[in-house]
Amino acid sequence: MTLWNRLRSWWRVILHRSCLENEMDAELRFHLEAFAEDLVRSGMARQEAMRRARLEFGGIERTKEECRDARGANLLEALAQDLRYGLRMLRKNPASTAAVVLALALGIGLNTTVFSFVNALLLRPPTGAEAPDKLLQLWLHNRGTSGMEGYLPLTYPDYVYYRDHNQSFTGMLAFDGDPESVIWNRSGEGQVVLGQLVSGNFFSLLGVNASLGRTFLPEDDQPGHPQPVVVLGHSFWQQRLAADPKVVGKSLLLNGTSFTVIGVAPGGFAGLLVAIEPDFWAPVTVAEQILHDAGRLTNRQGYWLFAVGRLKPGVAAPRAGSEVNLLAQLIEKEHPDTNKNLGANLFPATLVPGPYRGFVSAFTGLLMAVFGLVLVIACVNAATLLLARATGRAREMAIRSALGAGRGRLIRQMLVESTLLSGLAGCLGLLLAYWTSPLLLALKPVSLPITLRVPLDWRVLLFTSLVSLSTGIVFGLTPALRSVKVQVAPILKDEAQSASYRKSRLRSSLMIGEIATCMVLLVGAALCVRSLLNANSMDPGFDTKHVAVATLDPGSLGYPEAKVHGFYEQLSRQISALPGVSSASFVNHLPLGTAREQSAAIEGNHSASGQNAVSVDVLRVAPGYFETMGISLLSGRDFLPRESEEPGGTSGGVVIINEAMAEKLWSRQYPVGRRITLGEGTGLGLEIIGVVKTGKYRTLGEDPIPLVYLPRLPGRRTLVVRTSGDPRFLLDTIRREIQAVDANIAATDLETIEQYMALPLFPARTIGLLLGASGILALVLTSIGLFGVISYMVSQRTHEIGVRMALGASQHEVLKLVVGHGLTMASIGLALGLAATFGLARFLSSLLYGIQPSDPATLLGVSVSLIFIASLACYIPARRAMSVDPLVALRYE
Amino acid sequence: MDKQLDLLQGTLDMLILKAVSLGPLHGYGILLRIQQISKDRLEIQQGSLYPALYRLEHQGWIASEWGESENKRKAKYYRLTAAGKRRLQAETENWNSMADVIAGILGTKPEEI
Repeated sequence: MTLWNRLRSWWRVILHRSCLENEMDAELRFHLEAFAEDLVRSGMARQEAMRRARLEFGGIERTKEECRDARGANLLEALAQDLRYGLRMLRKNPASTAAVVLALALGIGLNTTVFSFVNALLLRPPTGAEAPDKLLQLWLHNRGTSGMEGYLPLTYPDYVYYRDHNQSFTGMLAFDGDPESVIWNRSGEGQVVLGQLVSGNFFSLLGVNASLGRTFLPEDDQPGHPQPVVVLGHSFWQQRLAADPKVVGKSLLLNGTSFTVIGVAPGGFAGLLVAIEPDFWAPVTVAEQILHDAGRLTNRQGYWLFAVGRLKPGVAAPRAGSEVNLLAQLIEKEHPDTNKNLGANLFPATLVPGPYRGFVSAFTGLLMAVFGLVLVIACVNAATLLLARATGRAREMAIRSALGAGRGRLIRQMLVESTLLSGLAGCLGLLLAYWTSPLLLALKPVSLPITLRVPLDWRVLLFTSLVSLSTGIVFGLTPALRSVKVQVAPILKDEAQSASYRKSRLRSSLMIGEIATCMVLLVGAALCVRSLLNANSMDPGFDTKHVAVATLDPGSLGYPEAKVHGFYEQLSRQISALPGVSSASFVNHLPLGTAREQSAAIEGNHSASGQNAVSVDVLRVAPGYFETMGISLLSGRDFLPRESEEPGGTSGGVVIINEAMAEKLWSRQYPVGRRITLGEGTGLGLEIIGVVKTGKYRTLGEDPIPLVYLPRLPGRRTLVVRTSGDPRFLLDTIRREIQAVDANIAATDLETIEQYMALPLFPARTIGLLLGASGILALVLTSIGLFGVISYMVSQRTHEIGVRMALGASQHEVLKLVVGHGLTMASIGLALGLAATFGLARFLSSLLYGIQPSDPATLLGVSVSLIFIASLACYIPARRAMSVDPLVALRYE
Repeated sequence: MDKQLDLLQGTLDMLILKAVSLGPLHGYGILLRIQQISKDRLEIQQGSLYPALYRLEHQGWIASEWGESENKRKAKYYRLTAAGKRRLQAETENWNSMADVIAGILGTKPEEI
């Protein structure tokens, strides 16, 4: 209560400063006059009475000042005074101020950038949704599997069961966890758009209203009567439909089916998945029509729906959790074949789904740690600089404290100065983050259909302010406490000149810590950059220069198989005839992408389920694939067009295998002509007609993986085109050719193979760039710090050096003295840093390509260059020390 | 008996609280009342009265409002708050027990030890 009172009275003081002054005047005047009147009444002359009253009252101004103090009014004024004084001090040393502010700004700015990504991925709730904290996401969990892979989204029948049988949620919605690329036939020309299938209650349960028209109703989403209706995304409507106000009621031809537009979603709403901004939403029950995937809604093993429920008021999350687990057991009883061991777990409905959060947190946590270290270095730098300045200001502090400034006041003064520095740095840092976030986003491969919004919202602002403030206090506190420990008398008597040097042990240990931290960051950076170079130069096993690729899916338009076949045949003919094209072929999906097909293989013609089976990857290719991709055929022959048409299997199909596979099954014998069986395949097995060179299929860093090429392709394929020239000039031609063959079809991911390779290189590139930047930054900051400390040391020891030189020390010895001091610090820091590196490097090992975290060449190289830069940072001040004139130095006293 | 005593350190706050506990008063009135109750035996520095008043108000033990004085002039009146009442009680008890102890010590005669 009294605290509240104090705050209120203080608040009044701030707001009504002049009011307080007037009241105080009036009150004191009343006192004097009342006193004077009493004196007059006792017989004194009025003039004399007034004089007496003033005299007895004492100093009026002093009383007022004490009153202001009592009210806390002066606190503010003193703070303003500190601020003004602080600004003046910072202006007086523009160079060191700029150095500190810039270093801190880089540290704070990079941390803000990383945090803005953490915020965008992990902290921000889905935009537009009402009360997102009441939303819970349901995941199936396979009890037999551990880790992230154990979690599965729902099948449609599962979703319906949970939706209709739970008691904990007011409703449960579902959406397609992997939005579909859909071909929009826009007046005869195919365009690829992103569509998300959602349950009929999706918008109503989230509390999202249409900005135009209406959103879905449960009636739109009845199995058996699916309504071909869509709600458009706001930016799609604005950018692709020119914000047509009469769009409601019009129809769009999507994957060959006509859909009626019933509404437009509000701006900013992009569903519940991070980095995905659907162009349109359609009811889940139209899945079979739009995807031409019969049985999608009854399939009990196709896990594709993310389900989200809204908790009923008064129901706690744990209760809902035990309920869904109970429901999972009931389903398991009903469908023991498909739902065996499948439990159900609830997670908060976040933009990054619950099971993946751990992975994202670990990655961003690593980045936060790295850039946290950069900030620590910047802080240590600022602290050493302020320490040096504090020692230089010992005289000022001594005078101020001799004049009666309290200990608290002096500390406050120093802290105001340091937070002023960090506050300035924070503002600059925000600006920096504003520039670097889009830069980081630009690193993402073009083919990744993600649009991540990284807003600098209140969470980021709060983070930056807190970091800036605590930075200011952390690096300001030590110098501040130092500065008030000064012994007034000796300093004022000018006796403490040479004694201060011995006190710099604190500064030295700070510097050593900084060098150690820098060492850790540098090793990390060097490893990652070298790994990036390795990854870049790593041979993926195919030509990464002269190929253009495009993904096509005429099957999604509902074409019958013959029409799909006809389309590809004609396309292949036309593309091959283009000038500059040497060959063209198809593959079901490119290696090093996200799609993968696996099987088990065994020699001979029995079922490959035994323990002798080899796990193999499978790619399906058309004739000419190896030639087009520049994969050399080691023995045997390529597929023939005839083979890619006839169904394999009983008649005994043909396969081509890679070298790794050949070595695995027949280490020394000639494999061509032998037979293998894939999976449960029966009959004669498959005849091996050729062996090709092993490439990289899953990741660039993998060990050789056995792989089987099959000649038959599904409807969805990737076209690969080889050109003698630059494939970039071919992209437009390919687009036109596809349009010419069938105007309804559009290619997704039409790009050069080089652009495609950005995807598998993405992790290495990002890590390499970020850690490389942090390492360089750390090195620059540390050398500036070392330079500052050594320069300061030289200026403090000028007298001593002068004496030494007067006594006959040579310039060489002085150089040794100064550089030796710096190098001692550097070596100790280096050793500590190396020790820490061994402890930390294993965190990196999973991110590195073809290099060990303890790579001796890297460690040696980094150590040598750090020592070299350290000696350079010491040499410049040492030169100044060498040129000390003993006469001048001695006369100074 | 006419000799004036200097105020003991830290006791002014207590006296002010006591004075306003008897009814709302303006600053000058508080001065007069303390002098009147003490029969002019206490000397209060007029200048030190107001900082004390402001401090007590800041701490929430007394509250102030503007009113009219006996001779029809605007004056700031102070009154005791509920928190101030508790404070006064606590200080009074504290003072009394302290005074007892001190008096006990000072009144000790050699034969009592």
